[in-house]
Amino acid sequence: MADELDLLRSADPVPAHGPRFPDGPLNPHAEHRLERLLTGADERAAGREGEERKRWSGRPVVPSLLGPGRLRLAWGLLATALVAALTLGLLLSGPSAPPAVAAPRPLVIETGSAPVPLDRLAERAAALAGAHGAPRLRKGTHVRSWSLGMSDDAPPVTLPEERLVRWRPDGSRTELVVATDPRYPGRPVLSDADGVPRLVGDGHVLHDRTYPPSWSGAPPQSPPPRTPDRLRAYLTQAQYTGTPLTTPQLLDAVATLLDHWTLGARESAALARLLAGTEGLRPAGRVTDRLGRRGQAYVTDDAYGVRRMLIMDPATGAVLGLESTLTAPDPRYGVDKGAVMAYSAWMR
Amino acid sequence: MSNDEIFAAAYREHYWAVSRYVARRLDGRAGEVEEVVAEVFTVAWRRRADLPDTPLPWLYGVARNCLANAVRGHGRRRRLVDRLGNDDTAHGRHIAAGPEADTPGGWVHEALARLSPADQEVLRLAAWEELGVDEIAVALGCGSRAASMRLHRARRRLRAEIDRMRPVPALTEHPRVTVPKEHGHG
Repeated sequence: MADELDLLRSADPVPAHGPRFPDGPLNPHAEHRLERLLTGADERAAGREGEERKRWSGRPVVPSLLGPGRLRLAWGLLATALVAALTLGLLLSGPSAPPAVAAPRPLVIETGSAPVPLDRLAERAAALAGAHGAPRLRKGTHVRSWSLGMSDDAPPVTLPEERLVRWRPDGSRTELVVATDPRYPGRPVLSDADGVPRLVGDGHVLHDRTYPPSWSGAPPQSPPPRTPDRLRAYLTQAQYTGTPLTTPQLLDAVATLLDHWTLGARESAALARLLAGTEGLRPAGRVTDRLGRRGQAYVTDDAYGVRRMLIMDPATGAVLGLESTLTAPDPRYGVDKGAVMAYSAWMR
Repeated sequence: MSNDEIFAAAYREHYWAVSRYVARRLDGRAGEVEEVVAEVFTVAWRRRADLPDTPLPWLYGVARNCLANAVRGHGRRRRLVDRLGNDDTAHGRHIAAGPEADTPGGWVHEALARLSPADQEVLRLAAWEELGVDEIAVALGCGSRAASMRLHRARRRLRAEIDRMRPVPALTEHPRVTVPKEHGHG
């Protein structure tokens, strides 16, 4: 009788001896691709773009599915034109100039959608916490973020990034940050890594570093607890404050936590319960986040004119994202009401 | 042999195995398979100095990341992640489903789809790419012990799902379908 691996083997959708992709000599296309690699034709066509698509431990961040070199060259020319246009814009315009290139709009609550109370989400999260195969806590993060860069003498710009932090068993970690905007795959994006906003290729590596082993027993480096009370204490410590957290501060602390840890189901359940017991966090309804995920939004306004919207997975109670928007315009920086100050979308 | 020659040999030897790896995870969408495989070997070319003596598991590791990033970078995340994880068509549920099926393909795919993506991948590597534990470790970028544990746990979970889907009465009614046996894991 077969064991489970034998059963799975018999269900191979593309068997080695099947009609699709059987072993054998390369076809002309594959030969051509090999030839291009060996002669360096691909690298030359990719030019600087290729250089920018650096890889991290064999883990490409942005796929090079753009096709032939011609297309890449076209993007390069486009990028050059956009850099010129942007530079000119930055030189000639003042604070009242139009908003940043591709500045994202705030998420919109779907009209007519019924808000889900946090209590119910916490119940769902608790039910999943002990489930077989539920996600587990993992140190490190994978986050897409958009942040508004403001200046006294230039229009605001939005800087989209993707950050991947992975820890190894020996306590070392690798951090990779690239400039990319999932809403515009393959298109140049703004970055101010050099101190001045400029357009860079999608996937341009901003930071790629491996750190030696390090340990810390203090939040947010230490593992988050699995009970709401202890988690609140942990988040308070993570914010380096001795006073009880206000609701906006609590959400900021949640962002700090998720920038260090990818929560498991148990930690998400504790967090959902903690949030359910937090005053001033209003259920607002359903949203679709910038990664296309459906979520439930919970909103709170602070005293400084910033609205924070936490987006949670309605099925699991996990936090998907946090958006901060202005509730009033700030003419000093040429920022309108509703401008997105910061947005983080966390992934597993 | 130079790095370039070693790379060329690995390319010729493993091009189709890498193509199958990608096709299994993209449901045979031929156009995309070719693109992703091209990307895999482009990445491998840039890192050809790292190419190990046994390159296939390493190439699978590169392919795995290329697939994941193809999903992210092209705004097809949801669609393709579903394909990699839980999509019906990707796992053959359209072909056959339920214990009454003539071949185990459909319901085994369904059992597989109920597992976490990480479990699914380690099982696919073991069953479809026929990798041993050490090779799985290379493909997943983890240690052998971790790979062994992951495979062990994933097998147990797959087994549980299969058992759940294959109640005893159904087996007796459909003797053509192989029954999973009780056994140890390694």
